[in-house]
Amino acid sequence: MIQKILIACLLAGAPALAQTDSQWALDQSTLTYHVSHPLHQTEGVSHAARGKGVCHAGQCDFLIAVPVKSFDSGDSNRDLHMLQVTRGAEFPMVTVRTHLPETAGSSATIHADLEVQFAGQTAKYKQVAFEQGTQGGVTRITGTIPATLSDFKIDPPSLLSMPVKNEIPIRVEMTWRKQK
Amino acid sequence: MNAKAAKSLLGAWILALAFLLPAPLRAQVAGTALTGMVRDASGKAVPHAKISVKNVATEQTVEAQADSAGLYIVPNLMPGDYEVSVAAEGSSANATKVTITAGAKQTMNLVVGVGLSLSDLGFSPGQTQGSAEEQARLDKRSHMLKLHQRFGLIAAVPLIATVVASFGAGGKSTSSANRDLHVALGSVAGDLYGISAYYAIRAPKIQGTETRGPIKLHKILAWIHGPGMIMTPILGAMAFNQKSSGEKVHGIASAHGAVGIVTAAAYGLAILSVSVKF
Repeated sequence: MIQKILIACLLAGAPALAQTDSQWALDQSTLTYHVSHPLHQTEGVSHAARGKGVCHAGQCDFLIAVPVKSFDSGDSNRDLHMLQVTRGAEFPMVTVRTHLPETAGSSATIHADLEVQFAGQTAKYKQVAFEQGTQGGVTRITGTIPATLSDFKIDPPSLLSMPVKNEIPIRVEMTWRKQK
Repeated sequence: MNAKAAKSLLGAWILALAFLLPAPLRAQVAGTALTGMVRDASGKAVPHAKISVKNVATEQTVEAQADSAGLYIVPNLMPGDYEVSVAAEGSSANATKVTITAGAKQTMNLVVGVGLSLSDLGFSPGQTQGSAEEQARLDKRSHMLKLHQRFGLIAAVPLIATVVASFGAGGKSTSSANRDLHVALGSVAGDLYGISAYYAIRAPKIQGTETRGPIKLHKILAWIHGPGMIMTPILGAMAFNQKSSGEKVHGIASAHGAVGIVTAAAYGLAILSVSVKF
């Protein structure tokens, strides 16, 4: 009898033991690239990123994508030139994938391994630090991806025969919302 | 055969067998096999995923592929810490760490991030598919504008020299040598300007692009220095003829200097508008 009760309890409890799947949706985002030239310091901003996270068994997969041509530096000629050098017409999207344990959401700093696809190339960035804070049901994440032009085999664009620096750090500010 | 001789014979046999055993067979028993299933986030088996196992200490990597049922096996792993990454087509690569201990077999199931794609984010195929034609148009545009920039910068040198030479060619000066130098420099500047303008005008236009920022000023200034570069030599030729025939420069030709200065100033400003951030 005791054995039967025990089995019944275990069977009833099994669904509760299985971890509930959850999803994350990107609410708002601001991605800013920074380009340094001897005569210019230029920033291009995009608010057009979309993202989603899927969690299962304590592990979450995130995908964030943004159209290359959505970056606005305030100068249409520069944007078209950037689109050309980054082969943005041939590869119109920048995608970022990362895999995080669900527990990462509880710490103030996330260290994420990122896989970035851009300009037809894939670059991996290990342990990129992002600050995060949760307020009113949304999680705000900020950080900088230490991207370089050579990571994506992009020839540095030049102005007046002077090329820009190889480093193009991308500042990330995102607001995520958890969905059941 | 006595016991000692029998023992020696047995030892020799074992030694011979050890050498006769094929090397791979001996290697197979050396390490632990890591095995398990590759599944997606929903728990479904993922066939033919690629598994990469890297020894953290030696950085040596062994690769394997899951079978059609999602089962994988990586044999002969020495005890130690390993980084196991798994990737399947259309999924993100997941990495995880494992410590291999001595033994015949160790099981670890792997999860790949199948399921998230650009369509899940609401992007239409039209937004995510690239266009080689559009890229070629952009490449051609950049190439032609680069030439526009190069010839434009080169043209600035004889243009400045023309303005400098004008001080000895106009006014009360009667030297024909100064006038000839001014004309020659102006001609070179005009030719180079023409080549530069050709590349700017003929560069492919990209549909759906609204002109904004410093390039807008650069284009507005072209409406000043462009006509100016046509008017200045015409007026200059008239002034040259009047001066060469001993007349005082008069009529519309007297505007040559002013038009030339405005043209040169607009041209200089056009270069600065895209070179220096104001």
